Amino acid sequence: MIPQQFDYVAPQTLQEALSLIENGERKILAGGMSLIPLMKFRLAQPAEIVDLGRIPGLNTITESDGVIKIGAMATHYAVESSPIIRGHLPLLAETADHIGDVQIRNMGTIGGSIAHADPAADYPAALCALEAQIHLVSAHSDRTVEASDFFQDAFTTAMEPGEIVLEVSIPAEPSNEGSRYEKHEHPASGFAVVGVAARIRKSGDKITMARIGVTGMGTHGFRDRAAERLLEGGASIADAAAVVGAGQEPNSDLYATGDFRLHLARVHAARAIASALSRAL
Amino acid sequence: MKVSGAYPLAVPQERAYALLQDPVILAKCMPGCEGLDKIAENEYAMRMKMVLASISGQFTGKVKIAEPNPPNSFRLIVEGAGKIGFMKGDGLLTLTPEGTGTSVQFDGDVQVGGTMASVGQRLLDTTARMLIKRFFDKLATEATATMTA
Repeated sequence: MIPQQFDYVAPQTLQEALSLIENGERKILAGGMSLIPLMKFRLAQPAEIVDLGRIPGLNTITESDGVIKIGAMATHYAVESSPIIRGHLPLLAETADHIGDVQIRNMGTIGGSIAHADPAADYPAALCALEAQIHLVSAHSDRTVEASDFFQDAFTTAMEPGEIVLEVSIPAEPSNEGSRYEKHEHPASGFAVVGVAARIRKSGDKITMARIGVTGMGTHGFRDRAAERLLEGGASIADAAAVVGAGQEPNSDLYATGDFRLHLARVHAARAIASALSRAL
Repeated sequence: MKVSGAYPLAVPQERAYALLQDPVILAKCMPGCEGLDKIAENEYAMRMKMVLASISGQFTGKVKIAEPNPPNSFRLIVEGAGKIGFMKGDGLLTLTPEGTGTSVQFDGDVQVGGTMASVGQRLLDTTARMLIKRFFDKLATEATATMTA
C-alpha cells in the first residue's frame, strides 16, 4: 500500500504544466481518485507526477450564450451542486450525484475521470447523450472532440501524449427537455455496472428528439443511435430499449455476466427513457 | 476466461498462415511487445511492456506455436510474468478462405493472476478482448501492407 518512489511537481500555470508533460512521459494528477489507488497497489509506477491542483482557473463553471463550460478540475461535487449545472444541465448534475461516494465526489474531477476513461465510469453516458465537446490542449495544439468520439476503448481516449483535458463544453438542455440517468450500481465500488442517460424532447405525444448514452456495458461509453432513431421514428419505448447495446460486446466479470449486463442496459434504458419522457414538457 | 472472435484478413489463406508464424510480424502486432527472440523451433522469448491508462508493467515470457496444421490451424500460446502479475493465453486459430481474403477464427482461454487480477477483476474481460482485437487490427494493417509491398 506504499507507492514506489516518485518525483512530484506542482506547476502554477497551465503553460508550465503543458511544457512539463510535452514529452508524454510524466503522469498527470488531477483528483487522484483513480491514479493514487493504482499507485498504492503498484500497478502504476510513474517516475514523475505533474499535479494540476495548484493551477488557478481550471475548475470554473461558466455559462454564456447557452453553452456551459466546465473546467477539467471541477470536482464531481462542484458539478453536482453548481446552480449553473443544476439549472441548465440537470442530466449532468444528476449523473455526478451518482458517482462513487461523497469522499470521491469531493476529490475526483470531471477531467480526471474522462481522461482515465474507466469503462464503468458514470460521466461517459451523460456526456455522450449531451453531445459534449471535450476541449484538449497541449503545448502545440488546441482542439475539441465530441464525447462519443473521445471515448474509444477501455482506458483509451482520443487524447494524444502531451495533451490534457482543459474543459468540457455542453449546450444547455432546453427547459422543455426531460432527462434521466438510470444506473445499476456496483454495491462495493459504486461504479456503474451499467448506466443509461436519456434525453427526450416531445411535441404533444410525439418524441421529437432522443439522445441515449450508455456506460459500463462495453469497453467504453457510447451513444446508442439506433435506439435514438427508433424513438424519433415513433417506436414504443419497449421496442427502442430492446435494441440498446446491439452490436456491442458486453463486458463480463464476477459480478455480472455479459448477458446480464446487456439485459440491465435494456431495462435501465427503458426506465431512463420513460422517466425522461415524463419530465419533458 | 474464454475469449473468441472472428477477424478478417485481406490476404489469401497461405499468406495469412505464413504471416501468423512470422516472429517479426507477431512482435509488431502483439500490443506492447518489444521483441521476440527465437529459443527453439516455434518458440520465442518475449519482452513486453504493457501501458494501459495509468497501469504499466513489464512482462517477460514465451510465445509458442503448437499443433501446426498449415494452412488451416495452429495454437498460439503466450505466457508472461512481471511484477504486477502473470498471464497466460492459449488460443486456437482457425483459418478459412473468405472471398479473396481469409477469416481467422480465434478461440482462446486467458488466465490472469497476481495483483493485476485481484485488483482489476472487473476489467479483465474487457481488457483481454481489447488487446486481442488490437492484435488482429494491427495484423490486418500489416497484411495489407505486405500485399502492396
